[in-house]
Amino acid sequence: MSQAPESLTAKLIPIYIMGKRYEVPETLTIMKAIEHAGYKFIRGCGCRGGICGACGTVYRRPGDYRIHVGLACQTVVEPEMVLTQIPFYPANRASYDYATMEAVGAAVGALYPELFRCVACNACTKVCPMDVEVMDYIAAVKRGDLAEAMRLSFDCIQCGLCASRCMGELPQYHIAQLVRRLYGGKLAPATDHVDAMVKKIADGYYQQKIDELKKMSVDELKKLYTAREQEPHQAPELWKAKSAEGL
Amino acid sequence: MKIGYYPGCTLKSRAKNLEDSALASLAALGFEVEELPRWNCCGAVFSLANDDLIHHLAPVRDLIRAKDAGHERLITLCSMCYNTLARANLLMKHDEEKRKTLNLFMEEESDYFGEVEVLHVLDFLRRELGWEKLRAAVKRPLEGLRVAPYYGCTLLRPREVAIESPDLPVMFADFLRALGATPVEFPEATACCSSYQIIANESAALEASAKILRAATASSADALAMSCPVCEYNLGRRQGDVRSKHEGVGELPTFYFTQLLAIALGLPQETLGLKWNEASSLELLKKKSYLTVSA
Amino acid sequence: MPYPEELKKLIKIVEGTRAERVARKKAGEEVPFLSLEQRKERLKHHPDFQEEGRRPLKVGASKGYAIAHEFADLLEARSRIDPNKVDLSRWDLETDVLVIGGGGAGSSAALLAQEHGAKVLLATKLRHGDANTMMAEGGIQAATKGDKDSPYYHYLDVMGGGHFTNVPELVERLVTDAPDVIRWLKALGCNFTQIEDGRLATLHGGGTSRKRMHYAADITGAEIMRTLRDEVRNRRADITVLEFSPAVELLLNEHGACAGAVLYNLETETYQLCKAKAVVMATGGSGRLHVRGFMTTNHYGATGDGVILGYRAGVPVSFLHTVQYHPTGVAFQEQAEGILITEKFRGAGANLVNVDGQQFVNEREPRDIEAASIILECTEKRKGVPTPSGKTGVWLDSPMIDMLEGEGTVKREFPGKHILFKRFEIDIAKEPMLIYPTLHYQNGGLEFKASGETKIPGFFVAGEVGGGIHGANRLMGNSLLDIVVFGRVAGASAGSFVKSKPRDGKLSLEHVSRYHAELEAAGVGMDRVAPMVLPDYTPADVKKKQWTAHYEGTLR
Ligand SMILES: Cc1cc2nc3c(=O)[nH]c(=O)nc-3n(C[C@H](O)[C@H](O)[C@H](O)COP(=O)(O)OP(=O)(O)OC[C@H]3O[C@@H](n4cnc5c(N)ncnc54)[C@H](O)[C@@H]3O)c2cc1C
Ligand code: FES
Repeated sequence: MSQAPESLTAKLIPIYIMGKRYEVPETLTIMKAIEHAGYKFIRGCGCRGGICGACGTVYRRPGDYRIHVGLACQTVVEPEMVLTQIPFYPANRASYDYATMEAVGAAVGALYPELFRCVACNACTKVCPMDVEVMDYIAAVKRGDLAEAMRLSFDCIQCGLCASRCMGELPQYHIAQLVRRLYGGKLAPATDHVDAMVKKIADGYYQQKIDELKKMSVDELKKLYTAREQEPHQAPELWKAKSAEGL
Repeated sequence: MKIGYYPGCTLKSRAKNLEDSALASLAALGFEVEELPRWNCCGAVFSLANDDLIHHLAPVRDLIRAKDAGHERLITLCSMCYNTLARANLLMKHDEEKRKTLNLFMEEESDYFGEVEVLHVLDFLRRELGWEKLRAAVKRPLEGLRVAPYYGCTLLRPREVAIESPDLPVMFADFLRALGATPVEFPEATACCSSYQIIANESAALEASAKILRAATASSADALAMSCPVCEYNLGRRQGDVRSKHEGVGELPTFYFTQLLAIALGLPQETLGLKWNEASSLELLKKKSYLTVSA
Repeated sequence: MPYPEELKKLIKIVEGTRAERVARKKAGEEVPFLSLEQRKERLKHHPDFQEEGRRPLKVGASKGYAIAHEFADLLEARSRIDPNKVDLSRWDLETDVLVIGGGGAGSSAALLAQEHGAKVLLATKLRHGDANTMMAEGGIQAATKGDKDSPYYHYLDVMGGGHFTNVPELVERLVTDAPDVIRWLKALGCNFTQIEDGRLATLHGGGTSRKRMHYAADITGAEIMRTLRDEVRNRRADITVLEFSPAVELLLNEHGACAGAVLYNLETETYQLCKAKAVVMATGGSGRLHVRGFMTTNHYGATGDGVILGYRAGVPVSFLHTVQYHPTGVAFQEQAEGILITEKFRGAGANLVNVDGQQFVNEREPRDIEAASIILECTEKRKGVPTPSGKTGVWLDSPMIDMLEGEGTVKREFPGKHILFKRFEIDIAKEPMLIYPTLHYQNGGLEFKASGETKIPGFFVAGEVGGGIHGANRLMGNSLLDIVVFGRVAGASAGSFVKSKPRDGKLSLEHVSRYHAELEAAGVGMDRVAPMVLPDYTPADVKKKQWTAHYEGTLR
């Protein structure tokens, strides 16, 4: 399992990095191809795993007027592709006081009045490398359906490509982030079991038990560890342990 | 078959009373409607100037969604949405050149030729049910209630998308009559409420509203009925401001026409969404003992 | 590309045994867990236990301690800067608390330090959030369900996973703060997956005795990271974020307290001195060192810088000899190689299966046991599945999940991986994945206390850069937990430390000069430069043609 001497044998194909031709192994991702050509990334590369949104890339194929997009770290090169990364695109984010902000569409609209400049051109959705229905979540925010907007925007990795293409000049991904937080903290059902546990711990309910564990020898701990009861994989949510020890 | 339904943004927030009362009524009348699985703002906030194609994208996309969901007919409740969708639909039907451009631009969607029929629910009820049958379905006639039917602009203008002849509109009055109410005629029934001017030019807008309210009161109406959330905002929500700035404007309860429909059909109070109305509306209903709570 | 014919044939064998394996699972008949004795035997096949991969350190606070060559190379290396040439009488930036690293630990620390009244500067290497935290998929542990779980069981599980070598005070803090961390994140707007009655959904993970893995679909880390980042951005009046500005050396003062850091602007190649009353080190892990040549799941900036900086300033390291190999990294498709397949797949019931379609280990053993078992299967036992690129792997039988939990579960619960493989025309709800262990997590690091403090006053540690919480092996879901627990702790401690008005003094790089002298005396490392900052993936033949580029070690 040594580090990819990847594709020394793979066929070379021509790609155009910002218009300039390079020959790269056909099995590489765009990211590795750019490195193969001799670039060293500072921008345009983050997680290398398709989740951070640093590596948004747009490209065109010969004879096709369409703009294609992909994450450089996830997309395999194609012959004759002409590409550039868009590692940064200005988009204004509105600061807000989370604690006092009301979780309603109107409050979002007040922070982002440009929301109502959306003409449903769909350029955002077409350019999204994560197949997020950007236009649809914006539509949901406009009608105050924050739950739906949160659901539709959940896979957003904030690469900013939507904002780069928007003719209404919206910063969609910032709006989506705001909406997801409003939903998660203010609209999603309360989680009483968490609060109850926090209180129990604060009240010192488990302290004695934990102190005992901390003082135990490794052998004693091992015994307890081996004997501890396992919640079965298929157990129902309200499974009850046989022993009340430590609960 | 279920009928396609396009709600519009406001009906999901401030005009929940319009949507709730309409959906409950349609169900009570035996119509199955189905909200489009995907939809965006109809685009009503923009001008639909003919050479400004970009603003046709939103309504046309909604029409495509309706077609893709298998609907031949699409009903709307809000007059603004109706107007926008109907006009965009006409353009797609008749303007070959613009249709081509729009279809090309929206290449990720299926091509559209204006196949879906856009209907305002008032017109839908007239055609599908007829006023006689509606009268028969009424459980609690609104006897003695004098209602001024306010059309505003978007149900009647421009002429090509008017739900009936704009010269002598009768549909709204017929509808009210079927509910057992007494429609009153008043000269400002099709005047403009000044719409979004309330933001840019508030004093002129309040004045326009004052004129409408005065005329309705003068014809001794008990209430004003309408079908547009923007009209409702200007004439209902902002009525207090109108009264404080203009003499001779009395308090006039406002309703969406679908709320009156739901009451007449004997539907329970929670379908009316009255918390979105002004207090005077609720008082009137109480005074008339029109309200029931479901068992 | 979809599976080639040869692999499709081998998949038939997996399908042949699947129904029976599902039936066993439904009946609650698990392949037995290894006893502690058996675990010890099995671990002999783990890379950590192979002596040739490491060497004792020749310099510094943990001299004599044997760790991986790749790490030793960087600890035995000189600074990027010449301490004698830096003018320490002036500085470019000044703040109360300097947080180094913009991952989950750093962001939590920044928020808490701010809440304790401090002005904060957060300096990070790439963009804020380009971090391992962003990549975590599976979940975050916390005993939040008092009807069946408690910090007691969490404690036992953590200790068992770490082979009972963990630092008890750190574990105590970890498990007793855990529920409050979930509460805090939720209150900040984090969308954890919920079940109908509003309770948070929880699953098993390797080594858990109770289902306590909370998750946000399969992007738990991203959901936590983007929420914290958003809140940091809301507080920009008090928290300044400097991106593309890694710290490359710590500054101390004449009293021996930590007093800031030297930051390097990656784009303009300029250095800045940042003076601070307290420093929180939160630079995360080191997968990009590619220990023993393994692929890694880590982000581009995971080069262990914080350990290097802290060690040079005099903080010892512990548990750095153990490295976590995630048992299930992608082995086929080549372009996705090394990418993590979350343990949640196994938590949800997917078996690990060899070339004969046989399950060879319970899928809920701790990670090191799983990794060692897979390596054993592929090496000595020769039961691995050959990949088209000449490597071997074993099957992770994801289609079992739909059979156990209902059609559509894989697609719903693992949307990220489902899409990834769909791009290769593989439907992981119907076909298994080919996997092999991949370098994942730095179990050890700088020594620190349950208060976040280290032996240097004013210097705090949080997150993957620290060592001791997880002992010799971390359980899934305890790292996201640890970074928020100890990020908050370190932030609060640093904020309080600033309030206590620590003694100001002249800035100093004396510790670097001393370290250099030590290197010279030991005769090692003066030809190497650390920290690495970014790994180097330029092919050798291209490098040869970069005539005027200057390389020092891995630095261009
Ligand atoms: C693919 C993957 C999946 C995982 N899944 C899980 C899981 O399901 N559950 C779980 O509990 N854990 C999981 N982990 C582990 C967990 O995500 C990490 O251990 C944890 O997030 C580390 O957080 P951190 O804040 O310490 O470091 P990071 O999140 O890595 O943040 C460190 C930050 O410091 C920056 N930095 C580095 N060097 C410098 C420098 N010199 N100067 C300034 N900044 C610097 C980095 O760029 C980065 O932004 C996973 C890890 C990976 C890689
Ligand atoms: S580098 Fe993070 S998404 Fe590609």
